[in-house]
Amino acid sequence: MKTTVAISALACAVAMPALAGKPEVVQNYVAIAHAAYEDSLTKAQELQTAIDALLAEPSEDTLAAARDAWIAARVPYMQTEAYRFGNAIVDDWEGKVNAWPLDEGLIDYVDASYGGATDENEYAALNVIASPSFTLSGEEVDAAEITPELLSEKLQEADGIEANVATGYHAIEFLLWGQDLNGTDAGAGERPWTDYASGDECTGGNCDRRGAYLKAATDLLVSDLEWMVAQWAEGGEAATSLTADPDAAISAMLTGMGSLSYGELAGERMKLGLMLNDPEEEHDCFSDNTHESHFYDGISIQNVWMGHYTRTDGTEVTGESLRDLVAEADPEVAEAVTTDIADSVDKLQAIWDRVDQGESYDQMLARGNKEGETLIMAAVDALVAQTQEIERAVNALGLQEIGFEGSDSLDNPDAVFQ
Amino acid sequence: MRLLALALASLTAFAPMPVMAGVTEAIREHILPAVEEFSAATADLAETAADDCTAEALRPSYRQAFDAWMGLSHLSFGPLETDGRALAIEFWPDPRGMVARTVEGMTADADPVVDDPESFPEVSVAGRGLMALERLLYDDALSAYGAGDYNCRYAVAISADLSRMAGEVLADWREHAELMRTAGAEGNARYMSENEASQVLYTALLTTIEFDADQRLGRPMGTFDRPRPTRAETWRSNRPLRNVTLSLKALRGLALTMSDDPIPATEAAFDTALVTAEALGDPLLAGVETPQGRLKVEILQQQIRAIGDAIEAEIGDGLGLSAGFNSRDGD
Repeated sequence: MKTTVAISALACAVAMPALAGKPEVVQNYVAIAHAAYEDSLTKAQELQTAIDALLAEPSEDTLAAARDAWIAARVPYMQTEAYRFGNAIVDDWEGKVNAWPLDEGLIDYVDASYGGATDENEYAALNVIASPSFTLSGEEVDAAEITPELLSEKLQEADGIEANVATGYHAIEFLLWGQDLNGTDAGAGERPWTDYASGDECTGGNCDRRGAYLKAATDLLVSDLEWMVAQWAEGGEAATSLTADPDAAISAMLTGMGSLSYGELAGERMKLGLMLNDPEEEHDCFSDNTHESHFYDGISIQNVWMGHYTRTDGTEVTGESLRDLVAEADPEVAEAVTTDIADSVDKLQAIWDRVDQGESYDQMLARGNKEGETLIMAAVDALVAQTQEIERAVNALGLQEIGFEGSDSLDNPDAVFQ
Repeated sequence: MRLLALALASLTAFAPMPVMAGVTEAIREHILPAVEEFSAATADLAETAADDCTAEALRPSYRQAFDAWMGLSHLSFGPLETDGRALAIEFWPDPRGMVARTVEGMTADADPVVDDPESFPEVSVAGRGLMALERLLYDDALSAYGAGDYNCRYAVAISADLSRMAGEVLADWREHAELMRTAGAEGNARYMSENEASQVLYTALLTTIEFDADQRLGRPMGTFDRPRPTRAETWRSNRPLRNVTLSLKALRGLALTMSDDPIPATEAAFDTALVTAEALGDPLLAGVETPQGRLKVEILQQQIRAIGDAIEAEIGDGLGLSAGFNSRDGD
């Protein structure tokens, strides 16, 4: 087995003119990205409509409808995440829409247990919604009017702190659900609809400013997604650069799969939260939607590999796949990747099943919850195992590091940790 | 949030067949001695703590244990990845201040888990390991405890837990070493070719070079307008620069075992950076707060990055390797 791998890899590297089918594989990858970002945009627009309805007529029902729309909006977006690593155009942008974890006290009121400013973040408890003006890194900021520009240009990553997340899905999530004060016990955030009520009914103070913030953040999410859809449309920058260099594009595909599997999902989002027993380290911590987010991340990796995506309206996007390309070079490796990805998706599904049976993801993180730990670690281990097979696929294709030319992180290392 | 350097594995076109000198030597001369030393140092820490757990008594053993940790912390695959041990041994970087929150929470509640060695390993990694112990031994607000106090028992628990983990790492490494030595043999699913064993070492080498430059130096540097000296690793125990130096020395040792051919450019790059680090004479990296001092740290940072370039040219190209995925590829 091992000699097969080594020999075929070397044979490719030496003998290989471009394998037939690469351009078609890349074309399909671009088509899936475009469809998934378009679906993300459509669902974000539906969220926008639901939030407009909430703000026009705040009630238990309109708040519930907005929350449902947010959860639905996550489904296609999470399926774009395998595009992030490997495509600098996505990675440089994604912080605007999906930055996490956040010090939510920057945005709105928080429970006393949250504490105030920290060593790391002077503005952890700034509470913009209650503050029409404030000083930020020595600069006086006029926040009398809460606009998308205020959020994106002044508040996002304020003071150079990544936890100062002012925009994107998780800021909106916080404004819809509020803090989850149940720790590792059952229950999500319980923000009352009256946080958006007018006059005497208003709770939490500054209801009009809270509404303005929610509106601005949602408008920004929609416009950011519009921009990304355009990058993947015909003639868009992402589409053009990938199709122009299919070898680099194939590297980008595998990089996205491997980095999301290992460092990001298995590591940062799953293992770390478990090892910290910290419910705030769960990805969708206000809404308790983490199990769905993780699951669709797993699907996202599978989509790239299988060259297949099911749109939110049920139609299928399909074409030549990376799997077929690798199978031409090494059928055993291709089979192993396919099997391993199916396994990780199963393990992520098992976590979701557990949630359906009544135990939320944050409960699984509790100290001493052996069953929860076993379920989460099974998914982590499956993701780590599939990364190893993805690495073998890279070797089987004899790929060079060409995928990363022009990547911000390589050309300008300082940009990475700004 | 951001992309860390991504580099995929490859056999470069026209590369010679991988030369496998490195793996056996690396295990024998670099990895196993480092793992044994860490196990011995943490055993000493645990014994010392059992005898006298006051901060003053424990500090010398703590420093020894941390020094030993710098000899293997870069081997983040295999035994240190199992059960998240690397995180449990040293939880850093800690951008959300979890160590402070967890340690203060434990002491405020006088959580009885510290008296139960069976349950203590279930505590959050932010409340265990070298970084939590640093708080107890060096934080003015926490370290003034007496022999019978809660914090003393907490220090005993952390020390024993470290020693336990180091023992497990040692046992696991003896097995893992065999897996690496038999890379490519029938039935070895972890390393299906000799190349894969070289590749994990190579990935560890390059990833840690990047970590030294971007995190160990980059975090305290912050930005020009906003330097952040208290984001340095282990500043409370006065060892930010020492960690960089020890890490570079360990990586130099690993690099030297990895190639049969001489690697003069790589050695020279390590030496340049080590000389600069020594000449800094600034154990806390506090100089980042002045433009002049910051410039010096920035030069060291560039020299460390240059080591990575030399490694890629001499070892990577020579062995037909480039780095694979690593656990820090995420945010």
